[in-house]
Amino acid sequence: MKPDKGHAEQRPQFTVVGGEPVQMTQVKHPDGRMSSYPPPEHWHDWKEADAKAWPKKQTNQYTLVPTICFNCESACGLLAYVDKENYEIRKFEGNPLHPGSRGRNCAKGPATHNQIYDPERILYPLKRVGARGEGKWKRVSWDEALNDIAQKMNQSRQKRLDGIMYHVGRPGEDHYINRVIKAWGTDSHNSHTNICSAAARSGYFQWSGWDRPSPDYANAKVILLISSHLETGHYFNPHAQRIIEAQQAGGKIITIDPRLSNTASKSDLWMPAWPGSEPTILLAIANYLIQNGLYNKKFVEDWVNWEDTLKAFVGVASKELADTDALKALQTEFKAKKSFEFADFDRYMKVTYGEFTFERAALESEMPMDRIIEAAKLVAESDGRLATHVWRAASMAHLGGWQVARTLLFLNVLTGSVGSKGGVNGNSWNKFVPEPYKNPPHGTAWNELQMPHDWPLSFYEMSFLLPHFLEEGRGEIDVYFTRVYNPMWINPDGFMWLKALKDEQKMKLHVALTPTWNESAWFADYILPMGHSGERHDLMSQETHNSKWIGFRQPVRRVAMERAGKKVKYTYEANPGEVWEEAEFWNEVTWRMDPDGSLGVRQWVESIENPGQPISQDEYWAYIFEHSVPGLPEKAKAEGITPLAYMRKYGCFEVMNEPAPPYVKEVKEGGVDVAGVRRAGFGTPSKKLEFYSPTMHEWGWSEKEYCLPWQLESHVHQNHIDRKKGEMILLPNFRLPTLIHTRSANCKWLYEISHNNPLWLNPLDAKRIGVGPGDLVRVETEIGYFVDKAFITEGIKPGVVACSHHLGRWKLNETGPGIGSGMASVVDLGQHGEEYTLKIKKMGGPWKSWDPDTSRVWWEDVGVNQNLTHAAQPDPVSGAHCWHQKAMMVKKAEPTDSYGDVWVDTQKSMAHYQKWVGYTRSCVENSPDGTRRPMWYNRPLKPVKEAYKIPGKPFGR
Amino acid sequence: MNYGFLINNSKCIGCHACSTACKSENQVPLGVFRTWVKYTEVGRYPDVRRNFQVNRCNHCMNPPCVEICPVAAMTQRDDGIVGYNADLCIGCKSCMQACPYNSIYIDPETNTAQKCHFCAHRVDNGIEPACVVVCPQHAIVAGDLDDPASEISREISKHNVTVRKPEQGTAPKCFYVDGHQAALTPTVTEGHSKSFLWGDIPSEEMKQAEPSCEPLLYMGDGEHMVQTRANVGHKVPWHWQVPAYLVTKGIASGTFMLMAMAFIYHLADLGGPTKVAVGLITMGFLALTGVFLILDLERPERFIRVMLRPQFKSWLVRGAYIINAFAGLVALWWGAELAVLFGMIDQVPVGLTHVTMYLGFPLALAASVYTAFLFGQAEGRDFWQSPLLPFHFLTQSVMAGGAALLIANLFVPLDPDFLGLASHALAIGLVTNLMMIFLGEFGMSHPTDTARSAAHKITHGEYKVHFWGGAIVVGGLLPIGLMIVGLAPVAALAALAGLYFYEHAFVMAPQKVPNS
Repeated sequence: MKPDKGHAEQRPQFTVVGGEPVQMTQVKHPDGRMSSYPPPEHWHDWKEADAKAWPKKQTNQYTLVPTICFNCESACGLLAYVDKENYEIRKFEGNPLHPGSRGRNCAKGPATHNQIYDPERILYPLKRVGARGEGKWKRVSWDEALNDIAQKMNQSRQKRLDGIMYHVGRPGEDHYINRVIKAWGTDSHNSHTNICSAAARSGYFQWSGWDRPSPDYANAKVILLISSHLETGHYFNPHAQRIIEAQQAGGKIITIDPRLSNTASKSDLWMPAWPGSEPTILLAIANYLIQNGLYNKKFVEDWVNWEDTLKAFVGVASKELADTDALKALQTEFKAKKSFEFADFDRYMKVTYGEFTFERAALESEMPMDRIIEAAKLVAESDGRLATHVWRAASMAHLGGWQVARTLLFLNVLTGSVGSKGGVNGNSWNKFVPEPYKNPPHGTAWNELQMPHDWPLSFYEMSFLLPHFLEEGRGEIDVYFTRVYNPMWINPDGFMWLKALKDEQKMKLHVALTPTWNESAWFADYILPMGHSGERHDLMSQETHNSKWIGFRQPVRRVAMERAGKKVKYTYEANPGEVWEEAEFWNEVTWRMDPDGSLGVRQWVESIENPGQPISQDEYWAYIFEHSVPGLPEKAKAEGITPLAYMRKYGCFEVMNEPAPPYVKEVKEGGVDVAGVRRAGFGTPSKKLEFYSPTMHEWGWSEKEYCLPWQLESHVHQNHIDRKKGEMILLPNFRLPTLIHTRSANCKWLYEISHNNPLWLNPLDAKRIGVGPGDLVRVETEIGYFVDKAFITEGIKPGVVACSHHLGRWKLNETGPGIGSGMASVVDLGQHGEEYTLKIKKMGGPWKSWDPDTSRVWWEDVGVNQNLTHAAQPDPVSGAHCWHQKAMMVKKAEPTDSYGDVWVDTQKSMAHYQKWVGYTRSCVENSPDGTRRPMWYNRPLKPVKEAYKIPGKPFGR
Repeated sequence: MNYGFLINNSKCIGCHACSTACKSENQVPLGVFRTWVKYTEVGRYPDVRRNFQVNRCNHCMNPPCVEICPVAAMTQRDDGIVGYNADLCIGCKSCMQACPYNSIYIDPETNTAQKCHFCAHRVDNGIEPACVVVCPQHAIVAGDLDDPASEISREISKHNVTVRKPEQGTAPKCFYVDGHQAALTPTVTEGHSKSFLWGDIPSEEMKQAEPSCEPLLYMGDGEHMVQTRANVGHKVPWHWQVPAYLVTKGIASGTFMLMAMAFIYHLADLGGPTKVAVGLITMGFLALTGVFLILDLERPERFIRVMLRPQFKSWLVRGAYIINAFAGLVALWWGAELAVLFGMIDQVPVGLTHVTMYLGFPLALAASVYTAFLFGQAEGRDFWQSPLLPFHFLTQSVMAGGAALLIANLFVPLDPDFLGLASHALAIGLVTNLMMIFLGEFGMSHPTDTARSAAHKITHGEYKVHFWGGAIVVGGLLPIGLMIVGLAPVAALAALAGLYFYEHAFVMAPQKVPNS
C-alpha cells in the first residue's frame, strides 16, 4: 500500500501478509535456548508475527538489511527490518554476525528507529533567509546548494590552500572524507578530538607510536579503568560485554573515578581519587612493582628504551633527570660506567620512583590507603593479563592529563601486558582500513587555524580554540563545514562560538551537515540533512577486541529496493524527504568544485567505469572489497557472489581474528634488534617503548616530569582549590549510557529515560552550603556561572561537583522547525557588551506532531547548558581541553536566580585563554631542527615535509 | 512447559538496552513501560553501590491479575506465559490493583490493559524475547523452567536467587541473581527519591511520597544512604468514581435492607408511599452505582461484557451479577408498587412482596459487602485485604441506608416506626463505624509494609484531612452530635458526606504506595 506521505513523514504502517511466521521452533539448541536471531538464509524474506496485533495472529514480511549504528564510534552491527512492500522500517535489532557487537546493542541501537522517524527531522536542504541566527529558512534543491557551495570552494581553492575547513564531530567512518579533503589539496581537516581523547592519545603515543589502546578485556585477569566503559565511551557496548565476561570468569575490575559511575559501582575496587592525583596512584603501584621486583623484567629489558634512558641520564638530560641527591649520586656512579646493563635500569627506576609511596598516594588522592595497596597487589598478580584503559576521564580533565595515559600504560609495560593475551594491544593492530582505488597526494599547506605553532605537539587540531583564534585575528575561513558537530553547545566557552558563527567575515560561508537540528546549525547559511545509521554508506573498523574486522554501513531502504530490482541512482531517493548521504554528496561537490579539472581535484572522485562523472558508491566500494580486503573475495566466491554483494548481504567481515602483535614480527631489514633477533618493533623513532621520551626533551619539555611517566600538577590540584573559601572542582563531562552527545535528542525512548543534568553533590557539601535535594545551586566558574538543581548523593567525592554534559539543549524559537519541544527549552540569549546570558523562557514539554508520542512527553526539565560557562583550557603539550573547571563558588542560588540561568563574560574567557597560551612552548623557540612538529608524530592528513617548516611570520611573534 | 525469566544482576550494567528494545519490538507508547530499570543507591561515601533492577511482569504461577479480570482478557497460558488481550479488555483496571508489581499499564492508544507478554509472538515461533536478544551482557535469560537442560533451569539451580514479594503468594517466575533488598522491596526507598539522577520524578505520588516512620531496612543513619535514583511512573488506576460507587451502593443496599428487615421482623408498617420511596432510593442509587462503574472503565462501551463474557472467579463479575440480580428483583417489585400507586393494579402480589423481601435481603447484603472480596483479590493493595472489611461495608450500608431514609423523609413522610428504625440504624451505624475505624482498621497493626504505608498516608499523610476532618468529624462526631440535638436530616447529610471522604481516602491512599 502506498502511503500518502513520504517515508518518515507520517506514522509507518506495516504490510499484513498471508502465511505463517518463519518457524524457528524446530531448531533445537543444545542448551534448550530459543533462537536469538533470524538466520541469514532468511534475511531476504523474513516473516514474523506482528507484536501489536497479538494475540491475534498477523504476519508481516520484511527484508533484513544489515548496517552499522551511527550513534557512537563503536560501529556496532544493526539489522534493519524493512517492510518488503512499502519499505518502511519496522525496527533495528543487532547483527549476530558482527564480530564486535555480536548481535547485541546498547539502548541507542533500538532507538535508532526514533532518529529515522523523528517528526522534527530536517528533510530538505535549507538555505538561510535573513540574518544568521534569525531562524528563517527556505528550502532549496540539492543542485542549487551543490553549485553554490562548490563555487565558493573553487574560489577559495584558487586563492589559497587553507580557506576551506571541514570540522567533524562524529566521524563514523574511516577514510572517505579524509581522502576527499586530500583531493581538494587543502589543509582542511579539523576535528573534535581535543575535547574528546587527545590527551590520552598523546600519552599513549609518546610510549608506543599508536594512540589508542585496544584492551583484550575478555581474557584479562585485572581490568584497570580510568574511564566508564560499562556505560559510555569508545567502544561502550563491545567493551562492556567483554569486561563483564572477564569479571564473571573471576577477573577483577578496578576503576579510578571521583564519581560513582555505573562502572565504578560494578567494579570490585572503586578508587575515588582527588581529581588529578591519578598519576601519583599509578606510580605508587608502579613503585610497588619495581621495589619488590614484581615486574616482567624480560619484557622491559627487551622492549623498553632503557639504554637510551640511561644514556640521556648521564648525557643530554643529566640535569633534568637527576634532581634529587639520591639520583645525583646514582648519576655520578653511572657516569663512570662504560656500558649499561639492565640491572642498572632496575636500580635507576628504584631510585627514581622511590618517592611514590602508598602513603604519598593516599595523601594526594585523599583516599583510603588500603584501596591503593589492594590495587597494587592485584596488578602485581595479573600475570601479564592486565587490561587498562583511559579514554577521556582524568586524561582530559587536567593540565598535564596526558600523563595519566603515560603512567597507566607504564603498568602494562611493567607487567608485560602489551600485546599479550588479556593485556593491551595497540589500536592499529586491531583495525583495518582498506585502500581505495587511488589516493591523492599529500597536501602541501599548513592551516594555522588548526595546528598553530604554539602547540607543536598537539594531538589533533586545536579545534575548540577556533573562535579564540578568529578573535585574535589568526585567520579567516572561506567555507566552513560543521559535520555532525555542534560546537557552540558542546565546546567550552560557547558564547565565543556564538560570536564566531555570527561573523560573516571570519566565517564567510557556514554549511552544517547534520541529521538533526542543533544550536550551531541554527547559525549556519546552509543546513544539509545527511542520513542516519541506515541511510548512508560508510566503512568502519574499530578496535573493539583482539580482531580486525570491517563493518559496512549502508542505506537500508535503498538496499531493500535494489534487492527488489528497483534502480536507485542517489540515496536521497530512498531516504526520507531528500535526506542524502555524505559519501555521494562529497563526490558531487568535489566534482563541481573543479568544473574543468584544472585544479587537479575532480580526477580523484572520477569514475573508472564511466569517466566523465563522479564515481558511484557501488563502484567505489566494489573496488575496495574486490582489491583491498584480504580473504573477502575468496569468501564471496565460495557463495557465488561478488565481494560487494557479500558485504551488502552480511554487513561485516572479519579480516583476521586474534592477529599476532606486530611488534614481535621478525623482519629482514629495518626494525630493531631485540636480544639478537631483528624484529619490527614499535612505531616510535627508537622502535622501542619510550619510557624516556627524547621527543619531549628535544621539543622544549625537558624537565623530568615531562620526559618520564610522572605526576604533573593539575590546574585543580589541592593547591589551587581553596576549599575553605568554598572553591570546588566541577567535573562537567561525564556521560550517560543512554545518550550520545547532542545527537540523541531526537530519540524519544532515550529522552524519556534521561533528560536532565542535575548537579551531583556529596551530602557533606550539601550540608555545608545549605541545600537539599532539588534545590537551586549556583556554580561559578572562572568566566561565568550557571544555575542547576542539586542531586545529593553519597556517590561523589566531597569537594567535587559533577554535571553531565549532553543535557541542557535549547532553541530560540517557540514554534516552527527546530529541536522537538520535549527535548529543548526555549531560551532567550542576551548580550551586554562582552557579557552574555541565557535564560530559560519555556521548559520542555509535549508538542503536537504526526507522532502521537510527542503529545505524551511527561517531563519538563531538560537540563542546563553548563558548557557555556567553561573556560577554554588548552593543555600546552597535548593541546587537549582540560575539562575540569575550577568552581570558584558553589552556593545556594540567589533569590533572583532561575533554573537554567547562564552568564558568561567573554572578556574573562579571552583572558583565561591567553593565560593558558602562556603555558605553551612554541616550535618557534623550541624546535630542534627547524620543523614545526616532530615528523614522526601522527596527524590527520599529514602534509609533505616542506609544509613542516616553521612559519615565516608566526602569529604573535 | 513453564516459561520464566532469570535476570542476573551481577552481569547487568543498567544500560537500558532492554527498555528500548522492548519499546521498539512492541511499539510501546511514551509514558508507559513493559520493562524498565530501577536504580537504587546504597551506602555512605566511599562505600557506595548503585544497583540495577530490571522490572517487568513476573508471569506468576498464581497470577492475581488473571483471577480478578472480569472478562478473561488477562489469561495464563499452558506454557506459563500470562498474556493480555486488547480486544477483550474493558479497562476496569482491576488487574492493576491485583498486581503487586506495577507490571500493568493502560495503553493510551487502545485504552486497554497491557504488559510484558514474554514476547509471546516471538516465543511461539521459537525466537527469544527482544530484551534477551539485545542485552550486551546476556543478563536476561528467558526459557522453560520445566526443561532441565534449558539455560534458565541450570542457572536457577546454580545461583542464589530472589524474587519480588514472594509473600504475596503469586509465585513470581522472574528470578534475580544478586538481588538487593533495597530494590526488591519498593517501600524501603519510598520518599527517599526527591531527585533522580538524570530525569524528572515521573509521578506525583513519587514527588509527594514521605519516608516511612518505621524504616523497613536499616543500614545506617546517613540521610542519603538508601535511595531510589531512577524509576518509572505508574498512573493511579482508580479515582473518585470508586468511592462514589461505594457510597451509592451503600445507600441502595442499606435502604433496602432496612425495609426488608422491617418487613421480615414486623418492626414497622410499611405503607405504599414508603415502599415506593424505598424503591426509588434503591433503584436510583443502583443506577448511579452502575453509572459510576461504567464511567470508571477505560472502554466503557464494552461494559456489558462483564455480564455476557464473564470470568467467574472474579469478584467484579460476581458482584456485577449480584447487583444486577438485586436490581432486577427490586425493579420488578418496585414496578408493581408504582403500578399500585398510579392505580393500574389493586395491590402488589403477596408472593412478589415476600420473594422480594426474603430474597432481596440477602442480595442487598451481598451487594453491600461483595466489594470486600473484590478488594481481597487486589493483591497489589494489602491495605484493602482486611478481614474486617465485609463487616465494615455492612455497617456503612446500614448507616447510609438510615441516613438516606432520614433525608427522604423530608420529601415523602415515611411510616413513623420505619423512620424510627432508620434513625436507630444511622445512630448505631455511626457509632459502630467509628469503632471499626479506630479499633479495627487503624487500631490494629497492619500486617505488611504496604498496608502500613497506606494507613499512614490516611492518618498522617496526604489524606489526613479527608480522614480526620472528613471521615471522623464530618462523618462521625458531627452527625452523632447533631442527632443528639435532634437535627437528624442534617446529621444524615453529614454522615453521607463523611462516608464519601472516608472511602476516598480508603481507595486512593493504597494506590499511592509504590509497588516497584
